Amino acid sequence: MTNKVSKWVFWLVLVVILAAYPKLFGLYYTNLFVTFAIFALFSVSFNLLLGYTGLLSFGHAMFFGAGGYGTALALKHIEGLALLPAVLIGLLSAAALALILCPLVVRVSGTAFSMLHLAFGELMHVLALKLRNITGGEDGIGGFPIPPVSIPGIVSIDIRQPENFYYFAVVCLGISLLIIWFFTKTPFGQIQIGVRDNAKRIDYLGFKVPQTKAVVYVVSAAFAGVAGSMYALFQNLISSAALNVLTSFAPITITMIGGVGSFFGPIVGSGIFQVIEELTSRYTEQVELVIGLILILVIMFAPMGFMGAISLLKQTWFPSRTARVALKGAS
Amino acid sequence: MDPKTAMYIAQGIHGLAYGMILFLVASGLNIIFGMMGILNLAHAAFFMLSAYFCFQFVSLTGSFWAALLLAPVATAFFGILVERFLLRQVRGLGHMAELILTVGVSLVILAAVKIFWGTESLPVKIPPLLTGLVSIAGMDYPVYRLFVIGMALTVLAIMSLLLYKTRLGKIVRAAVSDAGMVSALGINIPLVFMLVFGIGIWLAGIAGVAVAPILTVFPGLSDQVGMDAFVVVVTGGLGSLSGAFIVAIIFGLLSSYGVQFFSQLAPVLMFLFMAIVLAIKPTGLFGERE
Repeated sequence: MTNKVSKWVFWLVLVVILAAYPKLFGLYYTNLFVTFAIFALFSVSFNLLLGYTGLLSFGHAMFFGAGGYGTALALKHIEGLALLPAVLIGLLSAAALALILCPLVVRVSGTAFSMLHLAFGELMHVLALKLRNITGGEDGIGGFPIPPVSIPGIVSIDIRQPENFYYFAVVCLGISLLIIWFFTKTPFGQIQIGVRDNAKRIDYLGFKVPQTKAVVYVVSAAFAGVAGSMYALFQNLISSAALNVLTSFAPITITMIGGVGSFFGPIVGSGIFQVIEELTSRYTEQVELVIGLILILVIMFAPMGFMGAISLLKQTWFPSRTARVALKGAS
Repeated sequence: MDPKTAMYIAQGIHGLAYGMILFLVASGLNIIFGMMGILNLAHAAFFMLSAYFCFQFVSLTGSFWAALLLAPVATAFFGILVERFLLRQVRGLGHMAELILTVGVSLVILAAVKIFWGTESLPVKIPPLLTGLVSIAGMDYPVYRLFVIGMALTVLAIMSLLLYKTRLGKIVRAAVSDAGMVSALGINIPLVFMLVFGIGIWLAGIAGVAVAPILTVFPGLSDQVGMDAFVVVVTGGLGSLSGAFIVAIIFGLLSSYGVQFFSQLAPVLMFLFMAIVLAIKPTGLFGERE
């Protein structure tokens, strides 16, 4: 079987599994999968900054929250708004927030970038708590109407049904992931990696480093916004908890577990994280403790995460194959 | 003196005391960053841990003074353990690994505190010697706040003498700029770093004890004061002690007067100030390195 055919078979199997999933595993695991998918997209968008551009953000939750609040507010206040425009508003509000911050944050890197985001994230959190008449403070905005997915006159699907929401969410998140995937494969994606590895060289080659960072930043924020928007629709609630520091640390943990710098790392990480959280929540309330311990253990013993461990194993088991891949990468 | 002016001055003392606490936390953070290049995100968690130790020692021994001596040392001991067994292991992996490791440590401390002491806020009494008011030039000042201000200034004077006037300070500062050379001179670099980390955590510990009777001890302490301290460090410039001092006092005053004049916006003022400073100078007021 050639490489290309096996790839098509893989995608086909994946689609079939995804389509059959709610029927096979029931309501509980369907909802668990939606959470997994939301955090997978959130983490992939985060990894666009950390893994591809080398910028560690401690405040990515603010874009997640912006998306969620954008969608929730739009659905609450605009009469008869359709669903997809509402999601788009989530995307745009996160992107707009990123655009505002852009001129400030693309000039700094390293620790200053992280700290700046920690502070901005906290600023947004405080604002969401204090602007009670807009955001609802700690209680958040809940119970906003969720319109059906509809093409007028042809079809209308009520996504308040958990199973229908599953399909809607998987399609939306899947499309977002595909867009990010192609984004990283463009020449622009290569420049991005160049900025991470050697910003000076990229500058000498005639590319503009701050502008490149700005574009990546806005794209990353926009898709974090989509994830937040899905989260708000899924819970039918968005509250200031979506903006707190723990929400910002979720994609960091997930990306570290899965593997920084690999596109599929955060997706795998989100899966592992979901399983760990599911298992620990059966026995203990101390989710923070578990997350903290996982972070420490991963950094200590597998700094490249799951994907890194896998590629290490590959190197020991199939040395010839990885050598070939390495040669291909070098050419 | 009319009551309005008196109130303003009292608010100013509150602000100064809070600024001093912020500076104690921020200076520990700054010393660790300046000497070792590690931004210790678990710093605020250690600060809170020390406040809990203070509560524990006070309820065990009944003496605030014993707690003031013991709690920061106990906290520093845990800090040294973290440096020796966790941070040192990832030193080769770059700053990202160190940052994330300290995030992990802070989450673990937060969870451990909740397991051992619960989530309610625990009161710590001001020792009898420091309760009440003292009047200076016809004005009444709360003694405990003045004590906090005095203590912070004393500790920092000793710290800066230690760092800039002694042999130990010389070694530490040399180790930062060229660890290999200092190591070749026969000085145990890992030991020096361990010491520096311990001292930084000890400073956070002092602040934790100082804050315990004012704010009571509760798990949100690290978020509340810790975030402010981080903002102080970033705005003042990473690694710059004088920057942290000035900004800490500005923030202390800003928070106490801010609550009075624009109570709704008070928590946002600091972040706005930081955003403006960083927009003009990304490295912070007095910072040179990022």
